[in-house]
Amino acid sequence: MNISAIRDIKDWPWLVLLPVIGFVLIGIFAPAIMPYDPSAQDYSATLEGMSWNHWLGTDYLGRDVFSRIVGGARISLVAMVIVLVAALAIGVTIGSFAGYVGGRVELVLISIIDIALALPSLVIALALIGILGTGYWSMITALTLAWWANYARMSRAVVTAELQQPYIEAARVMGAGHLWIFVRHILPHVLALVVVYASADAGALVLAIATLSFLGLGVAPPTPEWGQMLVDGMSYIEEVPRLVVLPGLALTLVVVSFNLLGEAFALQKVPRPVRGATLRRRRKARAREEAERNAVETGTTSA
Amino acid sequence: MSDAQPIYSIEDLVIDLYATTVSVRAVDGVSFNVRPGETVAVVGESGSGKTVMTLGPLGLLPEGVTVDMKGSARADGSELLSIGSRQLSDLRGRYFGVIFQDPMSALNPMLKIGPQLARQARRFAGLSQEAARKEAVSLLARSGIPDPEDRYNRYPHEMSGGMLQRAMIALALAARPRVLIADEPTTALDATVQAQILELIRQIQREDGIAVVLITHDIGVVASVADRVIVLYAGQVAEEGTAMDVLTRPVHPYTRGLLASVPDFRADERAATREIPGLPPNQIRLEPGCRFAERCELVEAGCRQHRPPLQTISASTSPHRVACPVVLKREGIAVHV
Amino acid sequence: MKRTILRRMLLACLLILAASALTFALVAAAPGNVAALIAERAAGPGADAHMIAKIGNELGLYDPLPIRYGRWLSGALAGDFGISLRTGKPISSEFAARIPMTAALLAGGGILAFIFSIALGIAGAVSNGGVMDRFLHAFSLIGASTPNFFVAALLVIVFSVMLGWVPTFGTSGFTSWLLPWVTIALFPASVLSRVVRVNLQEAMSRPFATTGFAKGFTRTQVLLREALPNIAIPFLTTFGAQFTLMIIGSIVVETVFALRGVGAFFIEAIRFRDFIGMQSVLLLFVVFFVMVNFIVDMICIVADPRMRRARGA
Repeated sequence: MNISAIRDIKDWPWLVLLPVIGFVLIGIFAPAIMPYDPSAQDYSATLEGMSWNHWLGTDYLGRDVFSRIVGGARISLVAMVIVLVAALAIGVTIGSFAGYVGGRVELVLISIIDIALALPSLVIALALIGILGTGYWSMITALTLAWWANYARMSRAVVTAELQQPYIEAARVMGAGHLWIFVRHILPHVLALVVVYASADAGALVLAIATLSFLGLGVAPPTPEWGQMLVDGMSYIEEVPRLVVLPGLALTLVVVSFNLLGEAFALQKVPRPVRGATLRRRRKARAREEAERNAVETGTTSA
Repeated sequence: MSDAQPIYSIEDLVIDLYATTVSVRAVDGVSFNVRPGETVAVVGESGSGKTVMTLGPLGLLPEGVTVDMKGSARADGSELLSIGSRQLSDLRGRYFGVIFQDPMSALNPMLKIGPQLARQARRFAGLSQEAARKEAVSLLARSGIPDPEDRYNRYPHEMSGGMLQRAMIALALAARPRVLIADEPTTALDATVQAQILELIRQIQREDGIAVVLITHDIGVVASVADRVIVLYAGQVAEEGTAMDVLTRPVHPYTRGLLASVPDFRADERAATREIPGLPPNQIRLEPGCRFAERCELVEAGCRQHRPPLQTISASTSPHRVACPVVLKREGIAVHV
Repeated sequence: MKRTILRRMLLACLLILAASALTFALVAAAPGNVAALIAERAAGPGADAHMIAKIGNELGLYDPLPIRYGRWLSGALAGDFGISLRTGKPISSEFAARIPMTAALLAGGGILAFIFSIALGIAGAVSNGGVMDRFLHAFSLIGASTPNFFVAALLVIVFSVMLGWVPTFGTSGFTSWLLPWVTIALFPASVLSRVVRVNLQEAMSRPFATTGFAKGFTRTQVLLREALPNIAIPFLTTFGAQFTLMIIGSIVVETVFALRGVGAFFIEAIRFRDFIGMQSVLLLFVVFFVMVNFIVDMICIVADPRMRRARGA
């Protein structure tokens, strides 16, 4: 995948983007959508079923489940965006620097990147949380520090490849400075690749945030967060499985949406055989062309 | 050369290929047949449909393209286009042997050479395990592979290109087929090896009396092995006849162009080799008229309007036929009706 | 070939050294001083500086970092990982009890993922665009998107709460292992079944597959005899990567099903800021990752005839 992946945007199945856009919109407008304060407790209405007052019922503290799920979307979205932007910034900076400077600096940076990638990102994030302590910002920091290395490796690869291109030499001959060459000529290529990858990676990040919160190492209890709602609901799994199923479903839907997007990116360049309705349509078109041709041939003969 | 009935024949075959973004009419109303003991060369540039025409009815086109076939292809009393896939598989294994262009990629890198041969011999020639192994070794030996006992247990990457093509031939023969289809069998090989491989195919054909269909873009190869020639251009037959007729008395402007572009061939008549100007047409649109019109020196207004009929200019068991009324008219060649 | 293996071995050892040094440095640089933590746990919040210094000296915490690393690593190699700050017991005895638990979880999940991914991938390739192929597509997408703690919860709801077939938590016999195994296997099985499917499709479009058809095989026979052996290398490589990722699954699954394994110990160590315990688990993980990758490399060398016997003809 390269810069043309972005340019081919018009060939995409736009439907794939819809769920992701839905998630983002719900996250942004959550305060307006939520009928209740998601952390407001109401001991007169605990563990209620679905009703017009509480569309998805209430939890063991009488909190409105619908409001908490919508609020959870906002928490996931915000945390995910912060981590993604920070990890992208760090990764692209370090990776590009390594690729552009080359030499020993590159070697040292690559070794660091490779060691950082030797363990799965989530294990590194867990270790960092162990050092930093639990809490929202330590989760954000830990995830950022665990996530940048992939983007750094990708950026370096693109920079190294682009530096081989003749137009860089041309720009240099014309007296362009390093910063100019990098920002003007190389960075767009780096971003094109990394942003495509990141958009598909967002699902994994949403999952990581929920997993950390589920383990009690991420977003702390009063704040509505899907993973943490799910672990809360586990105590009532026999009586009110809804408290486990609903946040789990919300989370799965979001991750499925992002993975669908990633799949659309990946399938871009893969040729597939033509089947079903498309084949029937093509066959008809071919038959029509053939009929036209025959009409021309016989028509002129008879004339 | 023989008067026997054809053992593989294609009638008015049309093949459309559909991929994600394009559909192509690769073969457009072609008929041809091959009789036992005979070698038919199918000649054309890449993209002329020669491979699609020969391998398509056998279901041997790569996966990933959707193939749509009309017309008829008959072998061993069966209609290949309507036969069940299981019977077609069986027929492919039993009746046809196929040699592909690049033996390096056509032989499975994870499978040893010998056991594949033995398996074919067991399945289709009905040999016992022990006999099949012996047969495999003798097939390797017969295909000119030295030290066949050792090669039996080798993987493809352990052999050279020429040896692999010999192994490929041995594999194609293992089921004792009636028709051998060789798809550009020498293109991927060194020039010195090419002649040996062609000689091997010819020798096998003489000994076994099987029919050979040789697909090639190299008209020089045709001269040395073929009995009959079919010249394809953009999915249609331009000219066909005995190798003697087509190579020494070519009529169609395309055939003449092909022969003129071969170095050292008929050098006495043409001072320098020439290329046919232009490129083959894309077959995405079904334009009426002669496909060669765009590149033809003799083009007339009518050429672009109707498809030129294939007309017989010398009748025999292997008639010489040409799809170019213009050249026939200009040179006053008589047409047999 | 011997040289290749030796080189890979050396590389693996170096990677273990580098990664363990990095994790050691990271934990050693942690803000909370280990001695202060121990003193605090021993004497409550009123631990004085003298006591902290005494404990620090006893543990050698004031020695230079490389010396501490050397001491820790040589201890770990001899099976002595130090004393857990949380339990006050040797970590090695924790490991002795917990490693078999995690190993059983990973092995069972790995076997399930292996079998299911190959079976599903082949079924999808055989169906080639049909119902089974679509099912495989949906399965792999949803399976790779569902968080494993949610999978665990759903399995508990269906099989324990609703059907009552298996116990909800803990380990009591074979059936109690089923839900943890299925949970941990779902993600790798989804990813791997797609890998099998995609690589089979790729292999089917290669010339040797056409040769397979020419040999008179049906499509299914070509898939199984010609294409399947050719996906061994990409499959094994991805399987190795997924198997190492199952460590994350084990952390979650052990927490959900209250299994006393290494992953659960890791989470407890993190929660209680048991730095010594964390360090030991991280070392264990690093060794596990490097070992799995090394073994997969070796299997690939054996499985690929081109690497096994590189003799020219």
